[in-house]
Amino acid sequence: MKKRTVVLALAFMLIAASSLAAQQYYIPLISKGFQHQFWQAVKQGAMQAAKDFNVNITFEGPETEAMVDKQIDMLAAALAKKPNAIGFAALDSKAAIPYLQQAKTAGIPVIAFDSGVDSDIPLTTCATDNVAAAAYAADKMAELIGGAGEVAVIVHDQTSRTGIDRRDGFVNRIKSKYPKITIVSLQYGGGDQLKSTDLAKAIIQSHPNLKGFFGANEGSAIGVLNGVKEMGKVGKIVVVGYDSGAQQIAAVRSGEMAGAITQNPVGIGYKTVEYAIKALKGEKFPKFIDTGFYWYDKTNIDDPKISAVLYQ
Amino acid sequence: MANKPDDAAAATSLSRKTPETRGISARQKLLAFSSLVLLIVVFSILSPNFFQPYNLIAIMLATAVNGVLAIGVTFVIITGGIDLSVGTMMTFTAVMAAQTVAVWNLPVFVGVLMALVAGTICGLASGIMVAKLKIPPFIATLGMSMLTKGLSLIIARSKPIYFTNAPSFSKISMGTMFPFIKDFQIPNAVIILFVLAILASFALNKTIFGRYTFAIGSNEEAARLSGINTDRWKIAVYAVNGLICGIAGILIASRLNSAQPALGQGYELDAIAAAVIGGTSLSGGEGTILGTIIGAFIMSTLTNGLRILSVPQEWQIVTTGIIIIFAVYMDILRKKR
Amino acid sequence: MAEPIIVVRNLSKAFPGVQALQNVQFDLCPGEVHTLVGENGAGKSTLMKILSGVYQRDSGEILIDGKPVEIHNPRAAQKLGISIIHQELNLMNHLTAAQNIYIGREPRYAGGFLLDERTLNAKAKELFDMLHMDFDPRTKVGELTIAKQQMVEIVKALSFNARVLIMDEPTSPLNEAEVEELFDIIRHLRSQGVGIIYISHRMDELFRISDRITVLRDGQYMGTSRVSETNLDQIISLMVGRKIDETARRIPKGKPGEVVLDVRNLNRGRLVKNVGFTVRKGEILGFAGLMGAGRTEVARAVFGADPIDSGEVYIKGKKITIRHPRDAAKHGIGYLSEDRKRYGLAVGMPVLDNICMTDLPAFMNAFGVLKPKKMQKTSAEQVKALSIKTPSLLQKVKFLSGGNQQKVVVAKWLVKNCDVLFFDEPTRGIDVGAKQEIYQLLNELASLGKAVVMISSELPEILRMSDRVVVMCEGRITGELDGATATEEAVMKLATQRETMVKTA
Ligand SMILES: Nc1ncnc2c1ncn2[C@@H]1O[C@H](COP(=O)(O)OP(=O)(O)OP(=O)(O)O)[C@@H](O)[C@H]1O
Ligand SMILES: [Mg+2]
Repeated sequence: MKKRTVVLALAFMLIAASSLAAQQYYIPLISKGFQHQFWQAVKQGAMQAAKDFNVNITFEGPETEAMVDKQIDMLAAALAKKPNAIGFAALDSKAAIPYLQQAKTAGIPVIAFDSGVDSDIPLTTCATDNVAAAAYAADKMAELIGGAGEVAVIVHDQTSRTGIDRRDGFVNRIKSKYPKITIVSLQYGGGDQLKSTDLAKAIIQSHPNLKGFFGANEGSAIGVLNGVKEMGKVGKIVVVGYDSGAQQIAAVRSGEMAGAITQNPVGIGYKTVEYAIKALKGEKFPKFIDTGFYWYDKTNIDDPKISAVLYQ
Repeated sequence: MANKPDDAAAATSLSRKTPETRGISARQKLLAFSSLVLLIVVFSILSPNFFQPYNLIAIMLATAVNGVLAIGVTFVIITGGIDLSVGTMMTFTAVMAAQTVAVWNLPVFVGVLMALVAGTICGLASGIMVAKLKIPPFIATLGMSMLTKGLSLIIARSKPIYFTNAPSFSKISMGTMFPFIKDFQIPNAVIILFVLAILASFALNKTIFGRYTFAIGSNEEAARLSGINTDRWKIAVYAVNGLICGIAGILIASRLNSAQPALGQGYELDAIAAAVIGGTSLSGGEGTILGTIIGAFIMSTLTNGLRILSVPQEWQIVTTGIIIIFAVYMDILRKKR
Repeated sequence: MAEPIIVVRNLSKAFPGVQALQNVQFDLCPGEVHTLVGENGAGKSTLMKILSGVYQRDSGEILIDGKPVEIHNPRAAQKLGISIIHQELNLMNHLTAAQNIYIGREPRYAGGFLLDERTLNAKAKELFDMLHMDFDPRTKVGELTIAKQQMVEIVKALSFNARVLIMDEPTSPLNEAEVEELFDIIRHLRSQGVGIIYISHRMDELFRISDRITVLRDGQYMGTSRVSETNLDQIISLMVGRKIDETARRIPKGKPGEVVLDVRNLNRGRLVKNVGFTVRKGEILGFAGLMGAGRTEVARAVFGADPIDSGEVYIKGKKITIRHPRDAAKHGIGYLSEDRKRYGLAVGMPVLDNICMTDLPAFMNAFGVLKPKKMQKTSAEQVKALSIKTPSLLQKVKFLSGGNQQKVVVAKWLVKNCDVLFFDEPTRGIDVGAKQEIYQLLNELASLGKAVVMISSELPEILRMSDRVVVMCEGRITGELDGATATEEAVMKLATQRETMVKTA
């Protein structure tokens, strides 16, 4: 039968493409997404580590960050492969608990990365210290607008760890250190460019004296940038972003965006694999591994240290 | 044609295809089923991790929600309609259940009831838009999809609602009614899927409801001229689909132990794909529940198998796309013959 | 005469742009066959649809058993004992014959919720047996021939045990034998006191089956007469307002020219076996045979609508390959389908677009933009030439009467300048007047040098129009006759020459 041969051929092709060496450690990484450039950078770091330490990894994530159940199916499939260790960035920690429990029972070490996992099962979390990074963004913002005036913030969501930490980091720093700056609006745009653009425009409309605008992730930052551009406020409103990506990099380079915080996604991926291996070797390490962050603007964007962690 | 036996015989023997009819449809189902078996066999050969109790259960669990949604949408597609709101309708019912149980602190069964009622009402509304207001199903349900998505976000304030106060809620999906076999405890979600499939199949083939579902999809005008209140039955079909979305809502909320208000969009396409892979015709009048279930299993088995084989994610998507097109084309070939 | 069951008085009905019925009267007695005739678009179907609850009247009254009634929907008509076979088939192709017959009235159990499929099939089988039809009630309707589907419609209408049975052109897809069978059924019902309203364009049937005949013209009532007191000429002149010669044979102009189309050893499935024939320039070739003899299949195979198993096609002596209707059209072959609703027309589109559809490139400028003026002009010409009754060129085809839809199909292919034209049942459901026009048209096409192939199940039409007659039976060509000398008997003999008989003979 024709169908059978085609299916077989396909399957063999796939097998060939993913031929596994026998004795290598196998470490699947389940991320929160995979199409997004950020996750691609994490993947790139993880692949680098896999090469450096000679282990085998796979990197998967659901199509959108809403697909909690799909992520859990991925986790389940990863566990079925009897891995040596697992890297995991939970979309919803509670929903994943039963599977993490299984991993623990089976003696498979779990390393959380990025926003981490809300549980004590993971041996450590490799992530950006978002509170510190967002607070640094607040310092930069204050410096750029001269320590006084109205600013607004668009955050991607109010449920994820990164959303909460970046919001609190920024807001608390402004409140505690810069009494002359007021945060006139704080909204959630789901990390969606279009929605964030609309939000930003509405905010600018109702606050004509706005001096600064902070977008707490790539989507939010691009949204803020678009909003400012469409309202004709380029140069009048200081835009501070977060994360990178082609559009943001271009905006920083042109000066439309004053600067942005970048996490070190490559480092996140790299460290996750690195610490998974450490765990397999029985080494001890702390509960949180800071993977670092950088401030970048027009002046340092081409610095090799920076451009290495900026992803297009 | 008693008076001219020759002509009668000639005419009878020449009527197209008649004798083979039932043979074909039976063979068709068998073929759909065998492509699923083939998939399982191939994956089992390629990876020792595939055909393991743990993984088989993972596959079944991954099928449960999509399977339930696909059953509902099969009814709608058989009438010649489409429902693009099943994913978000499911989410809406999940949020309603969570709101009832976790926020209002009512018993679990009230939450379940709430989900079913909410789903039915949404379905009814879609049905009325389609049948009475004559809004094309594509648009009516697209609107319903946005509406339920928005409502879910509003009610849940855009964040997940956790069933922290009702630990038994997660048992609905994740517990098991048959804890006898040690390594092969089929979760309730899967059992609910199968029970629902049997009920739906029965409704489709043995009841008035099913008969009129086919009649409307095959030739709505003829059905109307035969004295059937086609509008009312169409509304009923959409309402039943809503009810089934309610079941899916309970299953997913229970599985995630939370209602995730942002989830749901895109799930309708998976459900529709499962129905179509299973031989349901998008132009109406044709379809079986068994086919749909097989379609849903083909999709989840494929996804799982490719993951087990560690196929890079990008290639998983490509392969799934190819195989879906291929499966539907095979079905078309079979029907042509 | 007994008290009439139905009396219709001063009934009027208008559609946007059309006065379909105007002050029409009509009555029906138990135990009679009352035939309704009139040109295409005269309003026959509209009147019947009002009686069966599909349309609502604008004014006038309907009395049943002397009492005025309102018939709001099909179900209300069923309750009043009125059952109808619609002109266009109204079946659900994906359901079985039995399921179609009892749709809406399925035998049930368990509180009316569950279907009793066994009783359903048994009851349908009983009906088929009663009508001497050898038929599996579990066959899906979509897999039946049109003739069989029509039989299912008839059985369905009968199954209501109605007091009034309306038949809107029930015989158009039936062959002679099946028509005879239907007439037996009608006579039987009549003897049981059922009132039957019968509509047909086949003039020969009228006098065989009717008790009374009512004529409509342009939505107006023209008169009613008993068959015994009238004759065909009278009826026809009431219908069309002029005399028509029904029988004159065609006299070909000059000798037919070179062979245009030569088909050799064509095979496809069971219904096309080793078929070979030629058609010459300026000739009309008649294809005779019983329903289901494979004539349509031959045409479709030549036209590229169905893939062939084997065979060769030559156009003007040159071998060509036809894989798709596009190829056929490119080589100047046109095909007018017998099932206009399914293959011939885009019923939801206006008359204008349908007429211009086959030859759209001719109506486009260099940039692929359509030229509405030219389309308008061409289609207006066709509407005039074929006297298609439509309020405007922009009327959707589905709102035209059945006969006028058929004319649109013809117009569509006339626009495309073809050398070879297959007409598959070109006059099915067309009134006598329009039939003459179509015959005239075929003649004109032939004298313009086109090769015309006419498939028809109406023997008089075949004999009248063909220069040569090819007869088919069970997918084979069983003989060829000269048009001038062929007789009905000779054609029928060939048409029933089954393969088994040939072998044993
Ligand atoms: N639904 C409709 N909308 C608009 N016009 C209509 C509709 N139905 C019928 N008509 C028009 O009403 C007129 C009468 O149509 P009707 O179908 O009754 O003719 P008929 O006598 O049955 O003709 P035929 O012999 O061709 O079937 C026609 O001009 C037709 O175009
Ligand atoms: Mg009519």
